[in-house]
Amino acid sequence: MNRHWKYLIAALVLAVLIAIGYFSGRFVLYITMKIMILSIFAMGYNILFGRTGLLSFGHAAFYGTGAYGVALCSLHVHTHPILGILAGIVAAALLALIIGFFCVRHTEIYFAMLTLAFGMMVFSLMWNLRDITGGDDGLSGIVRGSISLGFWKISLMKDSQFYYLVLFFFALTVFLVDRMYRSPFGLVLAGIRENHVRTEFSGLGVKRYRLAAFVVSGAFAGLAGALGLLLESNVTPFSAHWSHSANPVLVSLMGGLQTFTGPIVGSVVFVLLREFIQRFTQNWMLWFGLILLAIILGFRGGIVGSTSQLLKKFAK
Amino acid sequence: MLESLVHVCLAGISAGMFIWLVASGLTLIFGVLRVLNFAHGSFYMLGAYFCYTCLKFLGIDFWLGIIVGPLAVCAVGYVIERWLLRQVYDLELSYQLLLTFALVLICDELVKIIWGAGSIGSPTVPGLSGSVRIAGRNFPVYNLFIMAVGPLVALGLWAFLEKSWWGRIIRAAASDREMAAAIGVRVPTLYTAVFVFGAWLSAVGGALAVPYVGLLTTGMGEGIIINAFVVVVIGGLGSLKGAFLGALFIGLLNSFGTRYIPALDMFLTFILMGVVLLWRPQGFFAGVDR
Amino acid sequence: MNAPLLEVRDLNKAFGNVVTAKNLNFILARGVLTSVIGPNGAGKSTLINILTGFIPPDSGEILFQGRSITDEPIARRVRQGLCRSFQVANVFGHLSLFENIAIPVLAVYRKAANFLRSVARDDEVRREVDKILERIGLLSQSHVPASALSHGDRRLLEVGIALAAKPKLLFLDEPTAGMNPVERTRILQNIRDLSAEGEVTFVIVEHDMDVVFSLSERVIVLYRGHIIGDGTPEQVKTNPQVREVYLGEEVA
Repeated sequence: MNRHWKYLIAALVLAVLIAIGYFSGRFVLYITMKIMILSIFAMGYNILFGRTGLLSFGHAAFYGTGAYGVALCSLHVHTHPILGILAGIVAAALLALIIGFFCVRHTEIYFAMLTLAFGMMVFSLMWNLRDITGGDDGLSGIVRGSISLGFWKISLMKDSQFYYLVLFFFALTVFLVDRMYRSPFGLVLAGIRENHVRTEFSGLGVKRYRLAAFVVSGAFAGLAGALGLLLESNVTPFSAHWSHSANPVLVSLMGGLQTFTGPIVGSVVFVLLREFIQRFTQNWMLWFGLILLAIILGFRGGIVGSTSQLLKKFAK
Repeated sequence: MLESLVHVCLAGISAGMFIWLVASGLTLIFGVLRVLNFAHGSFYMLGAYFCYTCLKFLGIDFWLGIIVGPLAVCAVGYVIERWLLRQVYDLELSYQLLLTFALVLICDELVKIIWGAGSIGSPTVPGLSGSVRIAGRNFPVYNLFIMAVGPLVALGLWAFLEKSWWGRIIRAAASDREMAAAIGVRVPTLYTAVFVFGAWLSAVGGALAVPYVGLLTTGMGEGIIINAFVVVVIGGLGSLKGAFLGALFIGLLNSFGTRYIPALDMFLTFILMGVVLLWRPQGFFAGVDR
Repeated sequence: MNAPLLEVRDLNKAFGNVVTAKNLNFILARGVLTSVIGPNGAGKSTLINILTGFIPPDSGEILFQGRSITDEPIARRVRQGLCRSFQVANVFGHLSLFENIAIPVLAVYRKAANFLRSVARDDEVRREVDKILERIGLLSQSHVPASALSHGDRRLLEVGIALAAKPKLLFLDEPTAGMNPVERTRILQNIRDLSAEGEVTFVIVEHDMDVVFSLSERVIVLYRGHIIGDGTPEQVKTNPQVREVYLGEEVA
């Protein structure tokens, strides 16, 4: 796929998304926003997992931190959404820096264990610090403030208005992640995944790059969490629970690990599938686990991965 | 003052023994199969729920329940290793981790479906009920029993691995699986056996926990596996000695934390884990290479 | 600079009962193409691992260009100019040849941390990568993934990656292993030319005696962690201890 086709498709998708914002009813808007937010979470996560080869089980902690960051900022400081979102991102990134520091010096098994343990530590903190986080009730009733640009106020109260803010951040994420993958940094991360010893012997401190990837993915998780909170108006500690950490993993796997569009495609499938399944049963997590199992056992290329392989076969 | 200290210690040791049972199986499975079984806490939970079911619905007495319950979990473990885990041994490590993780999600939900999402009260054990007066306060006899079981299991495992023929094979396969295969060990069968054995240890822990916790919840598995992870990080993944001592330590730490600084709950254990990671990243008794 | 390129003082390393380095002392001078030979298990690969930072010594000091690097991590040493290639081709399998070479090049140009610019559009990097690929004769396969290369080409790539880090001192661990005569000639010619250009000092660990004696200005013979021979190829060839321990084993 050469570059011009890619830009064309991106422009088309953007046009469709804008049209959805303009013409759709509340439910479609809500679903589309959920998809975009999950895409942001998954795209950031895939920088760490697909690109750098590090499987983290604790990224929901950063999502949750982003959510609580906005909530607390909104409740105690100011309801300005951009300020809140920035607060959420910074909080998540800082937390990722601290946790990442302990985790990236290990790999694979220890890394998986540690990220899960630290992730649940954040969960238990959110649960226990009642006075700050509201405990297991969480924080609710968060108001979406308006953005004022001088004398012009943009209200975000309606979903149809907030939609464009989410769309903005989604497009921004796509842009940034794309640039990152094409950049020297992105290439080094791929090198680390392929052969971290050789990367070290090329003069690059692998731990440092891993930590950077960890923090970046944590920041995107925080952004997703912040937007998620503004969408739902409430947050509970469960947004930081390990079961939630599995979401970006499944999304990336469903879409295709080593692809750029995989997380986006995966998010679409994931959200729609979940909506569908939740109509019939309370036990979404069971289906989630079964789907994850099925993918691991048989469909590791994911949708985008398998499709491109099929296309290559037809092209021959 | 002293009495409460003594009791906090006793409570900590008892709690630690459950963590030890789970961590021992986790360590064994890792040592031989090189797989980190996220679902090990689920085996613990299943052991508890199966045992409870035996007691409540089949009218079996406790001592039989402790045997039957874990056996049922062994069957589950067998199916998992033989038909699921075996498929992913040749794949990248990530897929193995994700597989056991998927199993946790599935297990948790299945337990909720079968036994309900709420918690269930658990029966007391005839013969081991009641309490003993220690240091001026009552301490449950059952907990004393648990405090004896833990070290017994440790001793049993040690004797098994060091002295028995099977134990020697397991240790050989743990340190060099290719060599073990070369001298005729049927590695796939050994893997299944070790996995089932590890699951059994964890399930026994769960079954024994039934009278101890008083209340079975679907969050049991989650709580215990996190503790088990902290234990193996501190003790060193692959070291049974490290797992035992680590479990004791974490049990005590949790107990002290709950008693004196309840707001922080498990945070203490995580802080300890962080400190150990900085000071001795391999853990204190890193046995097999990780 | 008056300090020698590399100085090793009292280096010791043992794995249990196996001694791979015992009170090793030697100096490597700039521009002298050196070979390190010795029977298997003599400690040659271990020595490279220690000097480049892959494993720590039990005791001793390593000085690179006069500065002690004994405690420095691998990446630091590489950035200062101390590099190595591997015996078994250690490349970035799923990445293209271009990307394989680009990684060390980016490190050299200090552009590796940049996360917004595009690698493909960086002319400076592209020119440097193409130059290196051409040097090792693989420019035509620039877009091929490294895992698709033939064995010999992969060994060439292996050396190419090491060279791309612009080392001052480069340890080559059995560079010609498994190569056919054509490939071997090309790599040796490359080494000879680069050595003559004077920017890189090569230290080669080799088993192939033809390579050793035709290429080297200096030969160091390692046996069970000790240096039992050190001099020109002629001197080493006629050293009785060496003959007995090493060449003698070959003849027998």
